[in-house]
Amino acid sequence: MAEIYTKPEKKKVGERISVSQIRALIGKMGVDSLFTSFSSFPTKVCFETQEDEEQIVLFMRQHLIVNIPWMVVALFMATLPSIFSFFPPYSLLPTSFQFAGTLGWYLFVAGYTLAKFMGWFFNIYIVTDERIVDVDFKNIFFRKISTAKTKEIQYINIQSSGAFETFFGYGSVFIQTAAEVPEFEFVAIPYPDRVGKILNQLIDHEEQEKIEGRVK
Amino acid sequence: MNIFTFLEAITFLSIVKLLIVTLMGVYCIFALLMMRQIAAMTKAVTMQDDFIIRALGVIHFVFAMVVFLYTLTLPIK
Repeated sequence: MAEIYTKPEKKKVGERISVSQIRALIGKMGVDSLFTSFSSFPTKVCFETQEDEEQIVLFMRQHLIVNIPWMVVALFMATLPSIFSFFPPYSLLPTSFQFAGTLGWYLFVAGYTLAKFMGWFFNIYIVTDERIVDVDFKNIFFRKISTAKTKEIQYINIQSSGAFETFFGYGSVFIQTAAEVPEFEFVAIPYPDRVGKILNQLIDHEEQEKIEGRVK
Repeated sequence: MNIFTFLEAITFLSIVKLLIVTLMGVYCIFALLMMRQIAAMTKAVTMQDDFIIRALGVIHFVFAMVVFLYTLTLPIK
């Protein structure tokens, strides 16, 4: 007997049809951990300006490998107090002053490490079903959050150059928009090709919604 | 106490202590700012287990305060 009815796939409770379609299209990628560099549909991530029904499609940070240079510097700095005593001004000081100097130095190393780590941890790129969000955290005195609607995306440029980027599979995605912020830079992210493809799928999906009159 | 007595009381160690205390005081402000910035960022983007990052900021600030208080107790004689 010919099949005349197929039960539609059950969508998540409270999820919009468009989000279910995007989820089916993209699927689950990456891991949902605190230090993840790439995750699709993360479960425990939300941002301040997120709307009630807005769903995070991609959550990205720079590739973990970009942290290696400052880690090496921090390790080198942590070993320096052992040679401090060879320098006359330091060795002439009383023990209590030397101890304070060493403590202060380790505090400075801890501060440097934390500042560099924050620079990586809070430099976040988010793609939702409605827009792209770029959280820039350059240093502790500067942070910027830029957003642009998916329908405002005009041009996507994917770039992966250099031995490291090729070997470890990361690169940059440059997105030109018609929004107030003309260019978004997703720098040194893992799987730049996939991100470019997903962005194109989201743009297509947005256009389809517009045609069908489902746009918000 | 006149100015000359005051100047005579200044030793090399007292200058070093003043420098260290000033430096540590400024660093404590930096650590406080860092802690505040972490709180603001974790509020802007909420993530799984982000209390760990907030705890790191607090630990760093407490460490800075401990070192600052220690430098205040340094003997100058």
